Amino acid sequence: MELPGPFAVGRYAKTLRDELRKRARVQLIGEVTGLRHTQKQTYFELRDADGAVPCTIWANELAALDLPEGALRDGAEFVAGGGPDYFTGSATSSPAFSFRVTDLRLAGEGDLLARLEALRKQLRAEGLFELQRQLARPRLPKTIGVVTAESGAARRDLIAGLRRRGWAGTVVWAFAPVQDRRAAPAIAAAIQELAAAPAVEAIVVTRGGGSLADLWAFCDETLCRTVAMLRVPVISAVGHERDSTLIDDVAAVACSTPTHAAEAAVPLDCLAARGALTRSAAALQRVGEGAVEARSRHLVALARGPARALRRERATLNQKTREVRAASDRGLAERRAFQRRIASAVLARAARRAAGPEAQGRREALRRAEVAFRAHEPERTLERGYALAEDAAGEPVASAAAARGAGRVRLRFADGRVGARIDEDGSEG
Amino acid sequence: MSEKPESYEAAVERLEQIIDRLDSGQAGLRETLELCREGRELVTYCSAELDAVSEGLEELQLDELAARLEAAPSEG
Repeated sequence: MELPGPFAVGRYAKTLRDELRKRARVQLIGEVTGLRHTQKQTYFELRDADGAVPCTIWANELAALDLPEGALRDGAEFVAGGGPDYFTGSATSSPAFSFRVTDLRLAGEGDLLARLEALRKQLRAEGLFELQRQLARPRLPKTIGVVTAESGAARRDLIAGLRRRGWAGTVVWAFAPVQDRRAAPAIAAAIQELAAAPAVEAIVVTRGGGSLADLWAFCDETLCRTVAMLRVPVISAVGHERDSTLIDDVAAVACSTPTHAAEAAVPLDCLAARGALTRSAAALQRVGEGAVEARSRHLVALARGPARALRRERATLNQKTREVRAASDRGLAERRAFQRRIASAVLARAARRAAGPEAQGRREALRRAEVAFRAHEPERTLERGYALAEDAAGEPVASAAAARGAGRVRLRFADGRVGARIDEDGSEG
Repeated sequence: MSEKPESYEAAVERLEQIIDRLDSGQAGLRETLELCREGRELVTYCSAELDAVSEGLEELQLDELAARLEAAPSEG
């Protein structure tokens, strides 16, 4: 698509200037930077964290405003009234855009508070108020860092507060200017350097009271973002009123005085802690000794225990012995009856054979029957080298359990009896 | 407890737990003796921590701390 033109640039510049001059006149607030004066005009920029606008004011108009001596300077917060303008330049001079200022005043408390409120809202929305508060704060740090003015009551008050707590660790000072907006970068640098030292467990940032303009460095957006992101807890004690500066919002703890900051930096009252520890030690000593006594009593009870336990065991054992003997007697009687039945049957069979028609045959049959019968007699077994255990009454002891119960037995061999004592109760392997 | 406590507050918290348990009278003999031993170790640790911040307040400038750290780079 073909664009309109070409137009003569000078005429276009004038059109642009006229368009800009039609814009509504407004007030701007920001920090003065790059201030310079010429015979005809004064130039500066109004700046904040988001951007800047170049400003100009005619020297005679500035003089007519009758600002306090030295008030207009770099770093000061100002409110400028005016509108956009465009110097179109010429064949030999360069064009320039500027905000043509017709009214200029120091930012008042109200202006600063309004700006502060907007910034506070923004940082809160970004979650920056929570980060420091989530950090664990040691109750008994050995080293704390402090950012403050080298000369000032805050320094003295903080040390006094620490001493009252009975704390005598190491304080690392990072001195920085603490007055007005321009101090912010130096304060931020000091805090960062302290945070970089591994020994530093908490950082106190403190200065005495003043107007909001005096404390404005502690509302600096960059400084507050720096504090919010630190991994070391920062304790702020700036001014005397709570919540007046933005650093109070982003710090782990906000205190109203350096004395309170000392208590926040060392939460443990060392003197009280020493007392509590002594009491704990005494309680442990008492309980420990009591436990030893209790153990002694327990051991005495255990020492008495074996005799009782032995008596109990012996009674149980006797009962078992009686039961085992009764059982073995029953078994023995049954076995004898069985043997008698077998012998009778063998004899009967032999007798039937002996009653045969032939006498020789009968005798032979009888002899075989006798042999067969003798094979069933216990003596034959004994003759083969076996032994029979008997108790004192001559009754057979037919099981290991019965033998243990009897204690003493007699061993009947083919050629006689010998006494024997059962002296082990283990199972045979 | 043979390991060093994580921090003074962790040690104190454990010590309070031990004393509560002992006061409850519910710990058996073996547990009681074990808790007393652990408790005594914690008291020793806490006492040493308090001693470490009782020997006189020391004030350093940031660059002095930096020089000290450079002299003993293994610390921290």
